[in-house]
Amino acid sequence: MRNRSLTSLLLAGLVIAACGTGSTSSNTSAGPKHGDKLTIAVGIDPDTLDPAAQTTTTASQVVDMMAEPLVNIDEKGVVKPLLATKWDQSADGLSWTFTLRSGVKFSDGTPFNAQAVKFSIDRLINSKTQATQPGVLGGKSGIQSVDVVDDANVKFTLGSRFAPFAAAMTQTNAAIISPASASVAPNTLTHVVQPVGTGPYKFKDRQAGDHITLEANKDYWGQKPNYDTQVLKVVPDATSRESLIRAGQADVIALPPGNDLPALQHDNSLNVIMGPSDRTIQIVINTVDPKNTLLQKPAVRQALNYAVDKDAIIKTVLFGAAVPLDAPMSKALFGYCSVGSYKFDQSKAKQMLQAAGASGMTVKLLSPTGRYLQDSKVAEAVAGYLTQAGLKVEGPQTADWPTYLGTVNVAPARASTDLHLLGWAPAYMDASQQFQQFLPSQIPPAGLNTSYYGNPQVTELVTQGNTASDPGQRKKAYCDAQKIVWNDAPWIFLYNQRYPFVTTNKVKNVTGLPNEKFVTSWVSPA
Amino acid sequence: MTTYLVRRVLLSVPTVLGVATLIFLLVHLLPGDPARVIAGVNATPADVERIRHQLGLDQPGWQQYLSFLGRLAHGDLGTSTHTLNPVTSEIAARALYTAELAALSIVIAIAVGVAAGVVAATRRNTAMDLLISGAAIAGVSIPVYWLGLMLVVLFAIDLRVLPAAGAGGPTSIVLPAITLAFFSVGFIARQTRSAMLEVLGQDFVRTARAKGAGERRVLLRHALRNALLPVVTTIGLQFGTLLGGAVLTETVFAWPGIGRLLVDSIFFRDFPVVQGVVLLIAVAFIVVNLITDLVYAVVDPRIRYG
Repeated sequence: MRNRSLTSLLLAGLVIAACGTGSTSSNTSAGPKHGDKLTIAVGIDPDTLDPAAQTTTTASQVVDMMAEPLVNIDEKGVVKPLLATKWDQSADGLSWTFTLRSGVKFSDGTPFNAQAVKFSIDRLINSKTQATQPGVLGGKSGIQSVDVVDDANVKFTLGSRFAPFAAAMTQTNAAIISPASASVAPNTLTHVVQPVGTGPYKFKDRQAGDHITLEANKDYWGQKPNYDTQVLKVVPDATSRESLIRAGQADVIALPPGNDLPALQHDNSLNVIMGPSDRTIQIVINTVDPKNTLLQKPAVRQALNYAVDKDAIIKTVLFGAAVPLDAPMSKALFGYCSVGSYKFDQSKAKQMLQAAGASGMTVKLLSPTGRYLQDSKVAEAVAGYLTQAGLKVEGPQTADWPTYLGTVNVAPARASTDLHLLGWAPAYMDASQQFQQFLPSQIPPAGLNTSYYGNPQVTELVTQGNTASDPGQRKKAYCDAQKIVWNDAPWIFLYNQRYPFVTTNKVKNVTGLPNEKFVTSWVSPA
Repeated sequence: MTTYLVRRVLLSVPTVLGVATLIFLLVHLLPGDPARVIAGVNATPADVERIRHQLGLDQPGWQQYLSFLGRLAHGDLGTSTHTLNPVTSEIAARALYTAELAALSIVIAIAVGVAAGVVAATRRNTAMDLLISGAAIAGVSIPVYWLGLMLVVLFAIDLRVLPAAGAGGPTSIVLPAITLAFFSVGFIARQTRSAMLEVLGQDFVRTARAKGAGERRVLLRHALRNALLPVVTTIGLQFGTLLGGAVLTETVFAWPGIGRLLVDSIFFRDFPVVQGVVLLIAVAFIVVNLITDLVYAVVDPRIRYG
């Protein structure tokens, strides 16, 4: 509520501003490629800079500048070499050997080698490390041991076959830090506060809640950074971030207010970049709903998909910051294939609902607030379309994230909503991560499959996709599974969100990655 | 005086304990699982359980409460579940920013508010009085975040003379302090005006004028001093309003104070930090109330604490 009034008021304010002095024209001079200080405003104060404990992309984005994993992704989401130059899996798929880049040093001068990789990954899978987040890399099926083959080769032994292992190693939690640095205060072996890695920037200072300052690593092994320092200002309010860049006090800002996107796009001194994202936004349907057994029928769930005009929501509520889904996952994932579209057709929806005896059915809708771009407003629009299709919609009820999560992340017997708006962003660019949403093994409390959906055929295909070593075979299995999920419609498939960020026209080369990060390490003055 | 102080300090112990208990209960009644929030949506159940155990959240509630009180008795507020840093250092890193902001705001509010109130009272029913009273009503009515944004649009975006957000340099406190002071200025001005009007009609003011005291002396030495008592109470109470306003102001201006820390910590279900900040605010309230009572004695020598 407060945010909504904030942004609309700012809009009014901007009109005044525009009348007052005209647009904020820039005083660009043909500057050199080198810059002193780049200021970036982000919305979240990183909880921790310890690579092993990463959960949020904003924090990971900062860590990425200082510490690098063995592999990372390009703008399309494809895995590419970083600290490792090549990798191979054994015939049984249980061990993976990575060949390391030679001549690389950590920013504290320690040489980068297989021992350092072993140290960092052992630390990740060690449960004594505070708040460590190994995810798929840990546990019974994950990494069992890390072995130093020689200085330049390191071998990971897995608990079970896991075809997307290299993709999973692109995550920031698998970043390599200097073993020597982990015991230098304020760092401890169990909690790293100032990571020392091989990245293009080094930690300089931090004021909690205000900023983090990084300075260029002059000895970086790859393309050298252009700015001496980069300051990440923590500005939680989207409107305040917009003020900063309009006032010329920030060069790049993450996530401007959604409803100001058109105004920002019209400002010649700014560039609005609709960064890629792997995040799908959907209305999750309780597919085993005992109170609303009609939702157990795929035909009813398909009808709900026809009832919602995704294109209109993208245009009017998201101001273009999304693309409609044509599969149960984003294009950025390995294994994605386009499987269909539920083109908006209200009469067809009504007809299907009637045929299933579901006309006038009551559904309860829940949405988080402030978690995803325009989240509760999108839920309101969906409620409107469902009402037009003849349903009675209770809600959308809204809740802050922890309350929301506590409401939907419950066993089927305790479910209290029929529909809820959820976003899902795979931690690495592989269909296996998205399919966690559709596996019975991930039904809460075990995972976050909050539609409680399960289909033995899908489960079988996903297992094939997750374990086959041939990429073509994996793609085929995932594609077949997507077709089934699309028809079973455990979700109202909405859209693939974009991750908008804004730069002034004085800087160039900010690139967005599909994991909702934008890379500023190689930004240069325009 | 010393006995009075000691008694007041001792009396505050049960108050703090009460606040501690209440806030412990309140945060633990909040819906949402802190371990899940920390672990993130992609975490495995094993990750969530391990974090729950590391944070001691798998212990029964009464046990968590007792260890909370036990630590508190040693001045230890625990460890932030969000950042894993000690709560005391989390708060220490932020408290000074709020203290600075609140102090500057209250100075602005007192200076401007009292002056405006005196002027309005002496020019009663003139255009000036109307203007000041109007502005005072606006001051107490304008929402903090709207005012903040308007100031940012004017001074940061249009004129480009002041920072829009953050705590970068010495000038960065100007806009948040003015924004935060605005409400209190209006409130103090209105209080001062009515207190002054009451005093100005009394016999001793007439006597002062009759004995030939200058108008300035009459106003400041005789009238204002006697009008100050209710104003001091108002200022003491304003402190609470300032802390409430600080939550909004700190968000609009990305000021790294404890108001924002409190709000963020609630969203992250970071119970130890929420408890720590609320306790700090409670203690601050107790101290400010004590100071207010002591100032009474300075303003009005008839008041004695024994």
